[in-house]
Amino acid sequence: MSQTSAPQIPVTVLTGFLGAGKTTLLNRILTEPHGRKYAVIVNEFGELGIDGDLVVGADEEVFEMNNGCICCTVRGDLIRIIAGLMKRRGKFDAIVIETTGLADPAPVAQTFFVDDEVKGRARLDSIVTVVDAKHLPQRLKDSREAEEQIAFADVIVLNKIDLVSAKELREVESVVRAINRFAPIHKARECDVALDKVLDRGAFDLDRILQVEPDFLERQPEDHNHGHDHHDHGYDHDHDHADAPSVLRHNPEVTSVSLRLDKPISQQKFEAWFRRLLAAQGQDLLRCKGILDVQGLDKRYVLHAVHMQVDGKPTSPWKPGEKRLSRIVFIGRKLDAEDLRRGFESCAA
Amino acid sequence: MADPHVTAWELDAPVAALAFARDGTLAIALGDGNLALRAPGERSSPKKIQTHDGAVLCMAADGGDAAFVTGGDDGKLARVAADGAVGTLQTWKGKWVEHVLAPVAGSFRAAAVGKAVHMLGRDGKPLATLEHQGTVAGIAVNPKAKRLATAHYNGVSLWWTHGREQKPKVMNWRGSHIGVTWSPDGEYVVSAMQDMEMHGWRLSDGSDMRMSGYPMKIRAMAWSPQPYFLATSGADRVVCWPFAGAGPTGKPPVELGYARAGAVTSVAAHPKGDLIAAGYDDGVVALARISNREAAFVKPPGGGKIEALAFAPDGKSVAFGTEDGLAGIIDGA
Repeated sequence: MSQTSAPQIPVTVLTGFLGAGKTTLLNRILTEPHGRKYAVIVNEFGELGIDGDLVVGADEEVFEMNNGCICCTVRGDLIRIIAGLMKRRGKFDAIVIETTGLADPAPVAQTFFVDDEVKGRARLDSIVTVVDAKHLPQRLKDSREAEEQIAFADVIVLNKIDLVSAKELREVESVVRAINRFAPIHKARECDVALDKVLDRGAFDLDRILQVEPDFLERQPEDHNHGHDHHDHGYDHDHDHADAPSVLRHNPEVTSVSLRLDKPISQQKFEAWFRRLLAAQGQDLLRCKGILDVQGLDKRYVLHAVHMQVDGKPTSPWKPGEKRLSRIVFIGRKLDAEDLRRGFESCAA
Repeated sequence: MADPHVTAWELDAPVAALAFARDGTLAIALGDGNLALRAPGERSSPKKIQTHDGAVLCMAADGGDAAFVTGGDDGKLARVAADGAVGTLQTWKGKWVEHVLAPVAGSFRAAAVGKAVHMLGRDGKPLATLEHQGTVAGIAVNPKAKRLATAHYNGVSLWWTHGREQKPKVMNWRGSHIGVTWSPDGEYVVSAMQDMEMHGWRLSDGSDMRMSGYPMKIRAMAWSPQPYFLATSGADRVVCWPFAGAGPTGKPPVELGYARAGAVTSVAAHPKGDLIAAGYDDGVVALARISNREAAFVKPPGGGKIEALAFAPDGKSVAFGTEDGLAGIIDGA
């Protein structure tokens, strides 16, 4: 699509369980003055109460690709709808996709990696997940999707914080952080988060990953001891109220592993390791973001991946005298932190 | 193609589809809901007719009439006569009408709306609703318009067009089928796939054929009746598959036209065959002959990606439309 004259339309994906507050956030996006006109793609069976000129119902048709990658699925309905919306070009500046509460975000994200037409016309801006602070513990227990939606998020809106105690809030936050280490968490009551924290994030823009969240890979998990204290409390709590859900009983299957290396990386070794890793564990690796100090390269090499789909390139130059570091974060199921660390360190030049 | 003459118009909205009625009237369907109509030989700009409240998504000539049927993202199936008279045939509220057919050989119109294909009589009365498991992504009829092929996830379904209750014959092939065409001899059904390849079925024995090697999805397929080839978009040149004799299996395709930096985004075939029009994503239109592989540029770059091409019924001109709202006609093809 080298000659495509139109700019790519930014797309924000809104995920979260039924009742978490997606519709509230969506209505704010549609009504508040921010100078942008949105086209909205909603799921047909979703929450009611969205009105607007450019609201399109989608069917969430997940299609497998025949490209030999078993985890590669796309949303066929989005491909059609985005192509159709482009015929109305000029009538809107951005797209919001609301998914059903039970949707797996991977096919949505992969659509933007795999489909040439979608790639030429639209770009994934970020995946925003609205989490209900009160009901998250129960959701995590009874569904796999709640965990995946948090894992895939670039931005997390921790909503309904007024319905939980300060302690419960800390617990929920630490659980969210244990699953997803790089997404900023914005606390909200009725999704009253500033819209500029949610829109136009450029989370999939390799050039902007650094600018938007310069320390996203530096952020450490919640203080470890802190978490353990609460773990104990949780068990006590359970004795008193046997059926009160506790986040602390949730043993997340999805976790984040954050790695760093202060030696330059051999591009060849890294590519070989990364390729092997994705081939073997791509189904369990939900997302990955990294900034690498590649030997012989004056620029930061930035990459991100969704399952087996990878995008990466050299971006901004290292400043003179700046400490060069390579950092990478994996979010996935059944991650073996030690194995990942050894693999990453073996990429040193 | 000795001295082609290009007349072009800025229509201010993306071109969604092009069609010629049998009398030579050209209709240009636009993303702002208008249909731009041009009588044969007319020199002034095409006349815009407001038809849909939203974007026009699809269009076909309405049988042999001097009229067109259109589908829009307002859920409406409309009929627009060459004189500009607009009528609504049917409305499906909140749905998109994405594909439409009204073959000269048939006495029906077919509209794909979500997971259903609605069959309507020439009088506009509903005949039948053909239900599918998933969204219908393309429709085509056989030469006698007795049968209808629908493309969907994991295969293509074949229906009868008599409008009565029936079960389709489903031809399974894994993956998402995003377009379908029926060969002019009635022998082959060929689908385009999300996986950037095509799949064909020979109907006489149900044998499968795969046509692959494309760097992009195939958005346009056009049959050249003589020599017998299927021309396709989706690569840097026009890829034409030989269907004469035993079909394309084991034979290399013929590649036509110019390899440009971008890709071929649209193709159309001359009604008598051999001559193929190719539109590129940089706005170029070229004409090429399958028999001797000669090619010539007939429209320079610019004006946006070519979205649609159509030959006039007499084969003497070819119309083009772009994503940026430029449309025109190339005479002397």
